[in-house]
Amino acid sequence: MVADSQAIQTRQLSKVYPGFFKSQQVPALTELNLRVDQGQIFGLLGPNGSGKTTTIKLLLGLINPTSGDALVMGQPAGDQETRRRIGYLPEESYLYRFLNARQTLDFYARLFNMNRAQRRRAVDYYLDFVGLDPSVRGRRIGTYSKGQTRRVALAQALLNNPDLIIMDEPTSGLDPVGMLEIKNMIMRLKEAGKTVLLSSHQLADVEDVCDRLVILYRGRIELEGALRDLLEKKDVFQLSARNVSEALQAKLTQIAEQEGAVEILTGRARVRLEDLFKELVARKRSGEPR
Amino acid sequence: MFGLLQQLGPKLAGAGIALGTVYHPPSQHHYVSLFTDVVMVLLILAFVLTAFRDIARLGSGLSRAWAIGRVTIAEAWNARMWAVPLVWFAVCVLLGVLIVRGYEPSGVVRVYMTIFLRAQALILLVYLGILACVTLPRERERHTLVTTGSKPISRLELLLGKVIGLSAAGAIMLLIMMILTWGYMNVLDLKIRHDAQVLYAMQKNSYDKVQRRMPPDTGVKYLSRHGMLQAQNFVSGNLSIAGYVNYLTNPPSRLLKGGSSEILYFEFPSLPATEYYRPMFNFEFGVVHALPSTKPVTIDVTLVQRSNPMNTQEATLTLNAQGQVFWMPKNPTAFFSYGNPQTGQIYNPGPVVVKVTCPNFGVYLDIGNGLRPPNETSCMAVSLDTNRTPHHSGMVAPRANPVITGFKNNGKQEIVGPSIRHPQIKPEVASWDFPKVDQQQIPIGPHGNFTVHMVISVDKQSNEARAPVAQIVAYNTSTPRDRTVQSVYVNEKRITTIKLPSTLLEAGDLIINLRSEVPGHWFKVKDNSMIIMQPPSSFVWNLFKSEAIILCEIVLIISIGVTASTALGWPVAMLTAMVAYILGNLFHFVQSLFQSGGLELFDYVQDNRMKHVWYYQIGSFLTNVMVHILWVTVHLMPDFTRYDPLYFIVRSKDMPFEIVFLDIIWTLVCILPTLAIGYLLLRKQELA
Repeated sequence: MVADSQAIQTRQLSKVYPGFFKSQQVPALTELNLRVDQGQIFGLLGPNGSGKTTTIKLLLGLINPTSGDALVMGQPAGDQETRRRIGYLPEESYLYRFLNARQTLDFYARLFNMNRAQRRRAVDYYLDFVGLDPSVRGRRIGTYSKGQTRRVALAQALLNNPDLIIMDEPTSGLDPVGMLEIKNMIMRLKEAGKTVLLSSHQLADVEDVCDRLVILYRGRIELEGALRDLLEKKDVFQLSARNVSEALQAKLTQIAEQEGAVEILTGRARVRLEDLFKELVARKRSGEPR
Repeated sequence: MFGLLQQLGPKLAGAGIALGTVYHPPSQHHYVSLFTDVVMVLLILAFVLTAFRDIARLGSGLSRAWAIGRVTIAEAWNARMWAVPLVWFAVCVLLGVLIVRGYEPSGVVRVYMTIFLRAQALILLVYLGILACVTLPRERERHTLVTTGSKPISRLELLLGKVIGLSAAGAIMLLIMMILTWGYMNVLDLKIRHDAQVLYAMQKNSYDKVQRRMPPDTGVKYLSRHGMLQAQNFVSGNLSIAGYVNYLTNPPSRLLKGGSSEILYFEFPSLPATEYYRPMFNFEFGVVHALPSTKPVTIDVTLVQRSNPMNTQEATLTLNAQGQVFWMPKNPTAFFSYGNPQTGQIYNPGPVVVKVTCPNFGVYLDIGNGLRPPNETSCMAVSLDTNRTPHHSGMVAPRANPVITGFKNNGKQEIVGPSIRHPQIKPEVASWDFPKVDQQQIPIGPHGNFTVHMVISVDKQSNEARAPVAQIVAYNTSTPRDRTVQSVYVNEKRITTIKLPSTLLEAGDLIINLRSEVPGHWFKVKDNSMIIMQPPSSFVWNLFKSEAIILCEIVLIISIGVTASTALGWPVAMLTAMVAYILGNLFHFVQSLFQSGGLELFDYVQDNRMKHVWYYQIGSFLTNVMVHILWVTVHLMPDFTRYDPLYFIVRSKDMPFEIVFLDIIWTLVCILPTLAIGYLLLRKQELA
């Protein structure tokens, strides 16, 4: 029995991709025990072939487990009614190339049995939400750039206002501004009480937004825990200040040595390139001169 | 318990066989029908048991299936679906223009309708069959199923959506093609009417100026006014009896004419196969001599298995003074049970027909209705196993009112006119029975008459110079003495119209008897040689019904294609759908081969000296197994030959709505097990 507070729970979940001979069988996931609480942003990390996408497909019921089971929102994975509460952004934007953005979202909205007025409202709202340029909304998706396609894919994942959003490489194909928007959006989702399962290679993304994470390696969990606990160095103290003179630096270093501190590092602070880029774009957008 | 099973077993088997006739026409090999039924029932049962949740959700699921269907239509449109009707139209018009030169107007319309409708069916079957086979595999290859599969949609809805979408695409294309056909045929009809107007004006002008003796052709006038695009409705009678009939007796006295070409057909029903058995036939006729007595009176008898016309037995029998004779066929092959000596298996060979002719000129054989009490019977099969024929005390009675036909030539039956040398012998009578005519919508003229259209051919044995004259005797079975007798000149091979009082339409059946009045003139007639016209239906509505038949065929091939593609790649799925279509079209061919022994040539052969050689036996066994597998496989395929959109429309006849309705129901019956297979294959399949 899964607790109400848990959005996802897997028990000994395993998946072996079959082959004609036993030697051709590929174990993609081995006895995965995962627990994601509601309202959390949960990171799923790991190198290529570690089983991240397989885990997501198992949770959606797109593939069948070899053994073990998974519960999503308290129901077995793949349950049709439960999928009403789930939004899924696949690794690549698997959309119909011959439909335009509106038709695409209208199609997915129909799968949620929305009526005409609901569909129209939802399509317009989420196309605005993901920031798709209105001038391209009537064009076929086959003519879109990768970033535009990704925005439509993101919109279809949010279309049903889901309680659980599963995102596989959400920032793939987006420019840094788009990445930032996605991260902001994920934070907004968290504020709205949604649960997000995030699989990504962009470690910075995960670091910025996730509450908890697991790191998978060859289908097994190698590391699991709250992000703050995992990244915090308990025995290291960091001080940051402006207008610090050379004399004051020397004095602080001296005090630290006197108090028994070791491996003391001092120097000028650096901003991350991502922050610099974001600041620049934000200034340009607000019309501020260089 | 065992006894109960013994009692219930045959009844259940009988019910199963009866059910099998829904899926396919009844077969003499009932075990095949039963096997087909069992497979279908098991499939549907497995489907219902595994899909009951999905079925329960279909209320809201149909809108999701329609969403999938809309995307499938969009995909088909993107695949240049719109170009198909244009290509079809261009090809058909080109073909038509090349072929129809030299045809008369009715031929032109027939050729164009044949080309248009055949090409529609062919092109759409190929095009939509291919789309049906590739739509799911293509979604798998493009991974769009991953996104769609993450939404609250079941596999059943996915499957239904594909079938609905492609069917809707087919319907759209058929609608476009129908509009193009209708438009083109109207243009063509305008030209035909214009040509007919010009021709009629020329004929009339020539007749008015006494340059031409013949009056202008009324047929041309009719054509110029009404054109060729019609869907005619008419009531046709049953030409069930061509012998002399006296309806004033009860039962009506019916006579087989000796020395003529008349043939009397007794049809015996099939019996359940329980024991290998030979029948004995008892013939008993009342003998009427029209000429100084010819003795002894003989009859030529031929026994035929209806399902296997090659299995026959012939004899010439002499009637005794009471017109009676017993006959036991000498051939060891029995006709009511059919035994395989190798396996000991007893089969029921189906209905048996007894054909009787009398070679003695001037003799009439009275047959009544063929069902007199046993001692006065016309023909009975006697001394059969009483377990199989409990209601007749060991006798099998033929069907009532056996058919008499004249000499058959090109589908027409010939009735003999009065004889010049023997005027006392009555001429043969063709009799049409129009059942319950009062319920039909028949227009009544201002003088209280209705019109009967008659088209007959005349075969002049002598008196070539005389115009053919027919005697028409019409009456209603409720008032047989109240007769209308007319003598009319016959327009050979053209329509002859007869006006009859509307009082004949009341209450019972309308009977119209026809005979030749001129000695030496014989008539050739068929069922619809005598018809009562009704108001015509709309051509476009008739065309719509033909298109509906094509749509049924397309929907069936789509469901087969989509089902095949659930588990197979698109090339193999296409091959599977194609094989299913071909086997479905071969059903009647394989059935006739199987029944006529064409494929059983390697089966047991009684006098074959090789039959004890071991390798012959193995070969024979394997061939037999393969033949049976082919037969069962063909039986499992839907019968595509039943879809015939052309039969009525090319004859300018209105297609009865029942045909469309039955084809739709039959298509749904075939789609259900097909989709059940598709669902069972797709149910646990991984979408990513």
